[in-house]
Amino acid sequence: MEYQTVLTTCTYCGTGCGLLLEVLDGEVVGTLPAKTHPINEGKLCIKGWNAHQFIYDKGRLTKPLIRNGENFKEASWDEALELVSKKFLELKEAYGPDSLGCFSSAKCTNEENYLLQKMFRAVIGTNNVDHCARL
Amino acid sequence: MEQLKQNIKKMLESGEIAGFLGIKEQDGHPIPYLFTPEHLDQVDDFVVPEVRYPMAKILLNIVRKYPDKPIGVMVRGCDDRALVELVKNQKILPELVRPIGIACSQAFAEYCRCSQPFPREIHYGEKVGPVADRSDLETVESMGIPERLNYWMGQFSKCIKCYGCRNICPMCFCEQCTLEDDTLISTGEAPPEIPIFHLIRAFHMAGRCIDCGLCEEACPAHIPLRSLYRKVREEMSEYLGYVSGTEDSEKDPLEFLGSEGYEVPSKIDET
Amino acid sequence: MSDKKGGFEPKIIAFCCNWCSYAGADLAGSMRLKYPPNVLPIRVMCSGRISPHFILKAFQKGADGVLVTGCHYGDCHYMKGNYITKRRVTILKDLLKFVGIEPNRLRADWIAGSEGDKFARVARDFTEEIRLLGPSPLRG
Repeated sequence: MEYQTVLTTCTYCGTGCGLLLEVLDGEVVGTLPAKTHPINEGKLCIKGWNAHQFIYDKGRLTKPLIRNGENFKEASWDEALELVSKKFLELKEAYGPDSLGCFSSAKCTNEENYLLQKMFRAVIGTNNVDHCARL
Repeated sequence: MEQLKQNIKKMLESGEIAGFLGIKEQDGHPIPYLFTPEHLDQVDDFVVPEVRYPMAKILLNIVRKYPDKPIGVMVRGCDDRALVELVKNQKILPELVRPIGIACSQAFAEYCRCSQPFPREIHYGEKVGPVADRSDLETVESMGIPERLNYWMGQFSKCIKCYGCRNICPMCFCEQCTLEDDTLISTGEAPPEIPIFHLIRAFHMAGRCIDCGLCEEACPAHIPLRSLYRKVREEMSEYLGYVSGTEDSEKDPLEFLGSEGYEVPSKIDET
Repeated sequence: MSDKKGGFEPKIIAFCCNWCSYAGADLAGSMRLKYPPNVLPIRVMCSGRISPHFILKAFQKGADGVLVTGCHYGDCHYMKGNYITKRRVTILKDLLKFVGIEPNRLRADWIAGSEGDKFARVARDFTEEIRLLGPSPLRG
């Protein structure tokens, strides 16, 4: 029987409210606002209160999938990344770097977003970098 | 404080409690934590900050999964009232809960405008007297009826339907919440229809609200919810002689008629 | 919507318990007693079934007045339903007053199955009272 609360930041909007994820025996069961956090001072919006809901959602992908005609086929990470890298290089060769772009997510960490844009701007050579928060 | 920590360690070691729900500091923030006998040294990090979390509600979550284990819990006056009500509503068994009572300081009692800033049994802290502060109710009562509606609709219109008041309330333990019933509230739409959204909750709090004030603290729109629920609590006391959170009162008279149900209190009949 | 005199026509919802007050309303009908068409009866099995949610929903949807009727004390078909109704209505009236809705817009009354004339009288009186109070502040 183990219960702890983990202090973290909400993944939704740019405000960055502090919240506590309630973890009972290794499973996230709920969310509480962090009362001493300077940004939200113990208050949360409806997205913050349900920030733990998506973690165990059945709709989440658990393995890389490669499109095979109308269907998807399960693949390993190596296979999937090989395909992506091959296609990127082909397209960059044929149509130039601006034919590629990336779209990131608020559920990634700042560090992950930084790496993604660095790869697209420095390695591939395009400014086509976008993020779901712009919608 | 040291003595208290030693006592808690003894209780964990001897098996009197399988875990102690208290507060630990992490990265500069005091947050709830369950201390267990496997990591006794962690009890040294137990703190009693002047910050309140709904301990009774967290206890309920743990008890749902482990209904047979005795658990110690840090309680202030408000958490203790919540425990009394949870026992009354048969949500927790009193023999499986060991409350460790913390009395609040005068400053904290005044900040919370608390009517009972101490639990039934005090293990830490000095007992201070209740703070009788009706000023929030008097502000509304001094207004005329049409003025009151303007005031309240103005307040309710700030609501963003975050359900924070419901989520943090230790007395909101219903399996199916009325505020999510689509025959009464238009679900999936924000802002909520006012004033029905808040009045439904206010009526639900009749006979349940223990006046802990966590709802007002959790409202991002600073709506004076506590005064609504306090008013209903006063009415319950005035008309039905019922004060929720006290051990000697019977069950909620709005849900249980009781053996005296066949009589109508004369005060009610006059209205 | 007859505004012949330029006044407003109140909309009143009357919750009636199946065994007593609805029977009373029925009797008023068979005795050809006149009561204003402003009153819309809704039949429930017992006045104890009337949750304050229904009353609040009626007001939210624009009712100018809500009448809660049931059996007399001691006559409830389910023994005690009307006792709890009275408790609920009392607390709700005070809550409405605190929020700024006139508490007289909500009334609880006890009408037996044989009291057709009482039903008509209560309906008439209540309609007049609401007419004087004016339209509900939650309308529109």
